[in-house]
Amino acid sequence: MTRILTLARKDLLETRRDRLSAIFIVIMPIAFTTFFGLMFGSGSDRLAVAVHDADRGAQSQELVRALQQSDAVRVVPKGAEELDPWIADGRAAAGLLIPEGFSAAVQAGEPAELVIVSDQTSSGAQAIAAEVRSAAGDLVAADRAARIGAQVAGQSEVPEAARAVATLAMERPAVALTSVSATAAAGQVPTGFTLSSPGMMVNFIMFSLMTAGMAVIMERKNGTLRRLVTTRVRRWELIAGKMGGMFALTFLQQILLIGVGQLFFGVDYLNDPAALLLMMVALSLVASCLGLLLASLLSSEQALVAAIVLTSMGVSALSGAWFPLEITGDSFRAVGHLLPTAWILDGLRGIIAQGYGVADVLPAFGLALAWSAGLFGLAVARFRLS
Amino acid sequence: MSIVEAQGLSKQYDPPKGVLAVDGVSFAIERGEIFSLLGPNGAGKSTTISMLSCLLRPTDGDAFVDGHSIVGDPQAVKQVIGVVPQDIAVYPDMTARENLLFWGRMYGLAGAELKTRVDEVLELISLVDRQKDRVDKFSGGMKRRVNIGVALLHKPRILYLDEPTVGIDPQSRRSILDGILDLREQGMTVLYTTHYMAEAQELSDRIGIVDHGKLIALGTHAELVRIVGEEARVELTVDKGLEQMVARWSALGGVSRAVVEEEHAELLVEDANAVLPHLFEEAAAGGSRITSVNVSEPNLELVFLHLTGRALRD
Repeated sequence: MTRILTLARKDLLETRRDRLSAIFIVIMPIAFTTFFGLMFGSGSDRLAVAVHDADRGAQSQELVRALQQSDAVRVVPKGAEELDPWIADGRAAAGLLIPEGFSAAVQAGEPAELVIVSDQTSSGAQAIAAEVRSAAGDLVAADRAARIGAQVAGQSEVPEAARAVATLAMERPAVALTSVSATAAAGQVPTGFTLSSPGMMVNFIMFSLMTAGMAVIMERKNGTLRRLVTTRVRRWELIAGKMGGMFALTFLQQILLIGVGQLFFGVDYLNDPAALLLMMVALSLVASCLGLLLASLLSSEQALVAAIVLTSMGVSALSGAWFPLEITGDSFRAVGHLLPTAWILDGLRGIIAQGYGVADVLPAFGLALAWSAGLFGLAVARFRLS
Repeated sequence: MSIVEAQGLSKQYDPPKGVLAVDGVSFAIERGEIFSLLGPNGAGKSTTISMLSCLLRPTDGDAFVDGHSIVGDPQAVKQVIGVVPQDIAVYPDMTARENLLFWGRMYGLAGAELKTRVDEVLELISLVDRQKDRVDKFSGGMKRRVNIGVALLHKPRILYLDEPTVGIDPQSRRSILDGILDLREQGMTVLYTTHYMAEAQELSDRIGIVDHGKLIALGTHAELVRIVGEEARVELTVDKGLEQMVARWSALGGVSRAVVEEEHAELLVEDANAVLPHLFEEAAAGGSRITSVNVSEPNLELVFLHLTGRALRD
């Protein structure tokens, strides 16, 4: 274990001394995060909800106003027929239909019905439902409190009628939420730095493999890899050390870029630190195993540069690092989600904007583990000393 | 007991049709001696050292280093050998000290023992003053010294040096050769490979001459030179008809071998003084004019020429 750590630490030391690597690891990701963040607008990171108010009563309008003031959702008023298309093409994470009779039900102290239109699996829609439930609950509670207040006004004791209203209010749900499926999958379209910060992080984690991969090729050329095996280092320790170096490099890079995103771009990575840690480990695992494989397969610096550029650009584009997969077609989205990086990006953006926790990112972590195991196995099989 | 005993070592790359780089080599190296493998590039010297370093597994045969089999117990072998590869296999963007600390850890050293050994080795390779400089700022000779120092960190019982003087200036070469002689004085056993005859002759207690993967001669310098007896080598250039002249000279009495080597002829003769006039006469008779003559006393170069029909430098 000591030798593995020594090997990894030595690789980090060499990377730190390579001034060019700082360009790929720090400067370019920050520059591109800024560029893409501004290009995709610094628009709200709140979940877009398409709202159709069929009731148009006092209480329904009050509910819409409450949602408009929410920090979690962004209200987009739409006609009833527009809800599905907006959800289908990802412009809204969910739709809210306020049926006729909503205001009347609230005023009568009856359970009021609201309809959430969404893809049932969308956690963005779940977050919207929670926000709507909260706003509607507050609204109904306020209405009931007002009516009880009216009943007791001017009386030293609570009249029986007011007591009955209050009891009823306790027994009946304030609002009944009905969920219906939209005709197509829906999700939030990330914008601004929520889009660009994790996207560019994934992109440049891949790029930084150039530095680490190049080090392996240089070591193969100058004979240090062979020499290491003449010491007491075993082959598997050597490979583990190399991978450890790549993992540490990409993990430190993530800490740096997440810190910059959090402090300077206002991207809230720390909503769920445990989930974030899982995604960081997943990304570094996938990246380091991929880097090890490329360095094992290729023997020249030129070939490695070409492979890393192509791989990082391809993986980034397919994974939604440059633009949200929500605005692409079904086929592109499906292909993208064959890659662990697409899931990791979903996980990161979910943590930032949709309240994802550990349970939400576990599928992405599992897929990343499976990919890493496959890439590592191939890399070990093809690893050459000279 | 010998510290190295190679028994029928063979290495074929990509068997069964690949190159047979080493073909049934057997030799023994005694403790405290400098043993050289001398041969041209591609003779199989580096492959032999790679097998003895446990980098390559022999396709046939075995070797025992300090009693440990390179096939059966490579980890034990690695504990007693120090390998100085042909390339400068250290990290250029790390300092000399950082390199030694890193490699020391790879050899299993740690703590105070590691620091002490690093200090001792820096002293030994005369780089105490430059220990905090990055290796890529060093001259070729200094890099070579770091390369050797790495292999000495764990106090190996035998040091393998694979052509350590290739591509360096004469002053650095001298320094390295002196360093190896000093190590021998301290009781270190050395296995040295080279294609420079003069180095093998100066350094070695015994020399194995290898060609095309086979060990074709083995002995002390004096023993090897006796193979060619008192023969001298005569190097001749002519203005024209070199091949025709070589054919004529080879038929002369007193000439045991005559071959064309690039732009000149190389002859092995029993008595240079007696033969030379006949060589001139024969050239004149053949319509050629001798433009230069160089006579060498018996040496390893001559031994190689005698055994293989080719010059060592080829």
